[in-house]
Amino acid sequence: MLLFDFSNDDQQATRFGDVKGRYDLGLVVAAMLLASLGLVMVASSSIAIADGQHVGAFYYLYRHVAFLAIGLVASLVMARIELSWLERNALPLLLCGAVLLLLVFVPFIGVRVNGARRWIRLGFVGFQSVEAVKILLVVYMASYLVRHRDNLQGKLLGVIKPLGIAAIFAGLLLVQPDFGSATLLMAVTLGMVWLGGARLRNLALLGALALPVLAGAALSQDYRVKRLTSFLDPWADPFKDGFQLTQALIAIGRGEWTGVGLGASVQKLFYLPEAHTDFILAVLAEELGFAGIVLVLVLFAWLVGRGFAIGLRAVEQNRHFAGYCAFGVSLMLALQALVSIGVNLGVLPTKGLTLPLVSSGGSSVMMTCAAIGLLARVSYEVSRAENAMLQVISERQALEVRP
Amino acid sequence: MNARTKPANTRTRLYAVFAVLGLASSALVVRAVDLQVVRKDFYQEQGDARYLRDIDIPVSRGTIFDRNGEPLAVSTPVESIWANPMELLEHADRIGELARAAGLDEESLKERLVERSDKEFYYIKRHLNPDDAQAILGLGIPGVSSQREFRRYYPSGEVIAHVLGFTNIDDAGQEGLELAFDSWLAGEKGIKRVIRDRLGHEVENVELVREARPGKDLTISIDRRIQYLAYRELKAALAEHHASSGSMVILDVPTGEILAMVNQPSFNPNARGNVDPAYRRNRAATDVVEPGSTMKAFTISAALESGKWKPHTPIDTSPGTYTLYGHTISDVHNKGMIDVTGVITYSSNVGAAKIAATLGRDEMYDVFHRFGFGEVTGCGFPGESPGNLPIAKNWGPVEQATIAYGYGLSVTPLQLAQGYAALANDGRLRPPTFVKGGQAKDRAVIDPQIATTLRGMLETVVHPPGGGIKAAITNYRVAGKTGTSRTAIGGGYQKKYISLFAGMVPATAPRLVGVVVIHDPQGAYYGALVSAPVFSKVMDGALRLLDVPPDDVQNWYTASPDSGHTVRMARQAPDGAQVEPDYAEGVPE
Repeated sequence: MLLFDFSNDDQQATRFGDVKGRYDLGLVVAAMLLASLGLVMVASSSIAIADGQHVGAFYYLYRHVAFLAIGLVASLVMARIELSWLERNALPLLLCGAVLLLLVFVPFIGVRVNGARRWIRLGFVGFQSVEAVKILLVVYMASYLVRHRDNLQGKLLGVIKPLGIAAIFAGLLLVQPDFGSATLLMAVTLGMVWLGGARLRNLALLGALALPVLAGAALSQDYRVKRLTSFLDPWADPFKDGFQLTQALIAIGRGEWTGVGLGASVQKLFYLPEAHTDFILAVLAEELGFAGIVLVLVLFAWLVGRGFAIGLRAVEQNRHFAGYCAFGVSLMLALQALVSIGVNLGVLPTKGLTLPLVSSGGSSVMMTCAAIGLLARVSYEVSRAENAMLQVISERQALEVRP
Repeated sequence: MNARTKPANTRTRLYAVFAVLGLASSALVVRAVDLQVVRKDFYQEQGDARYLRDIDIPVSRGTIFDRNGEPLAVSTPVESIWANPMELLEHADRIGELARAAGLDEESLKERLVERSDKEFYYIKRHLNPDDAQAILGLGIPGVSSQREFRRYYPSGEVIAHVLGFTNIDDAGQEGLELAFDSWLAGEKGIKRVIRDRLGHEVENVELVREARPGKDLTISIDRRIQYLAYRELKAALAEHHASSGSMVILDVPTGEILAMVNQPSFNPNARGNVDPAYRRNRAATDVVEPGSTMKAFTISAALESGKWKPHTPIDTSPGTYTLYGHTISDVHNKGMIDVTGVITYSSNVGAAKIAATLGRDEMYDVFHRFGFGEVTGCGFPGESPGNLPIAKNWGPVEQATIAYGYGLSVTPLQLAQGYAALANDGRLRPPTFVKGGQAKDRAVIDPQIATTLRGMLETVVHPPGGGIKAAITNYRVAGKTGTSRTAIGGGYQKKYISLFAGMVPATAPRLVGVVVIHDPQGAYYGALVSAPVFSKVMDGALRLLDVPPDDVQNWYTASPDSGHTVRMARQAPDGAQVEPDYAEGVPE
């Protein structure tokens, strides 16, 4: 039985010294394909906007490339950090995240854009704290779930505690305000708690309790109510509250099955606000049509599917921290992609969420890359553990067959 | 907790997550199909409504040429600077820069932009020359663009301003021939359907809705040289006699083409500004005058047509007055016993009145009407007046008598020219036209024999002792009639005079008819003194410009080259020779 217990394979890996793992190829390819598609769409959707702002037609493209490059470095770094180190330092890292979230409220450091304090001034670019917090919370939550697995799978309180921690961050985000990210954090935590083994009964109970709170938060601000109602019927006021969404819907409707052709979008010509960031999918749908939407969904399904598969393998190896990290990151990517696409298609209220890896947006691009680096790390350690096991087996077999 | 069961448990839970994600994805796919396939028409219509625009393709207005191909009205391309107020106001800090470049007041520009902040189009400045427009565009101010337009330019300026009229800033004819021939000159703007981005830039041509049809050129009947000559002489005469206004019309007899039509005061159509509208009237066609003695030619035509009178039928005009139902009609001088020709020669009001008394009023009305009085000429000039010829049944004996010598009816100078042209054209009236080669069908209005006779009578006017000797032209025989009338005002007459001359040259085979009307000359006011010399000078020049062969060459051959002047003086009345006034004070009341 001990043969299959790799819970302390660190010692074994140390013992066998140079045992190496492999990064999951499918994960990397899916991520690269998505990033490439994103690059093309950012180029297509931002040229007119950049030109209109007199910053050079390729301003946003160059920025995007730069951030992808930084993201690549970040992912390589993440892919080389031992998960055990992350696990040990999960709490201090989360506290760093909390500091980042608080910094946005500090004058001269935090930047206010469109009435929301979401950015930290970093020289010439702004950094969106929440993007880092997303990963740090996933890592912390993974470590928490490992440490409190028994509680989690038992009492109601065991479920409330991790959700409560996430709720603190969600609360901070609501102050910014960033309702979309707050919801996303809660949803990801909920998903992790579920995958961590929380009882359905407890979650249902909690959900029943949380629903009125969420509804209250949603309806407490006029603009949120407006967003909610305008998304239900954007054509009621297509030139004010429903402006962005109606423009997105027009773009999508123009796309038909195969699109108007790459680069031929009209809606990106100043009609659709945020065409290269939050609403890049609408431009994609206009230029590449229904086929484009399906392509995006398939690529995300592939990416996220690899992520969950890696996580499952990790959990099955009893490497729960690695597994939960993979689950959390996969959930984060999946949910954010679904929400972003949903917003573009007009089935969810406008949230201000980017489409991971595809949208232009510095912090999002960098941190998504880092998150994929983390997934890659998990895949590496899973494969390393398998290699170590094979090595042990082959060594034992070698001993056994010796006459 | 059994460690072995947990992985399986996680797997199950993961499948639940997959189910949720899969369900959500499927919902999105369904939604995408709904948007992109099922309801695409609605969204595409909405999109088209936002950025499909029908744009005018500007066309240039046709050029107006004179009869010799000289350009009289040309369109030059100019640029008009416009802005999208919505977009410009987002860069309000640059409005000052724009205002300075366009020479506008910054505050008022900003105010006007704010007023139109919900609009997408506002003209900043129109009709700039392309260099100036480029200088403004070069500033790269967001929301500022230019539009090609055409500006009308009139090289001949005030000389032909009344005839041509002018266009407004949108290149649409407003007055004169620019208005009359607007659809011909303007052509038809093309329309193209384009896709525009939200800032108004065209990004794609979708289709040509209507092809542009450029305006067609127009060659008019005016001869710029004669026009200039007439303008110069009329203006000089007005200055000399301190007159208030005046007109001159010259017709080409065989075709009815208007060779010249000038008015004073005039205006510069290239810089109209706030010119007094009175200066813009083409008085020759729109203003009426009482024709005075010039009308006697038609009275005598009626008399000859009646058969009751012959050119030499005697008529007693002594004692130079004639009282009719308490109204006294008087001549300037008592000429005693004269004949019908003498009535023309001496411009006898008494003679004309006595002749008219023998004619039926319907008969007389009919002749006048046939000569085109009381109706517009059909030249098509906008705002042309039909004049006023009272209908015959309203004529009493006094009215008939006064109408006989040109009071109690009113005519335009153009109508008068048309009437004289009918006499010149052997009794066939051809309505005047402004278009070269645009001659209208003529019609017989009087027996050719009568027309010829009348021309002979009118010739006597230009020779002593006739009243119009100042209208004489060297080497050409002139037939014409002077006239003087008082300005009618509110049913009465005031002490302001209108001096007229209507005539034709060369009298043997008339080619040109000219009418001169001068209002309110100071000092000597007789037509013989004020208008006749203008006629002489202009027609003299016009005949030579048109290469009309002289018909009075006997003196040409007899005179030595350096004595031409003497010959001319011999043919014409010497300066200071007495000119018989054709107007008697206090006649019409």
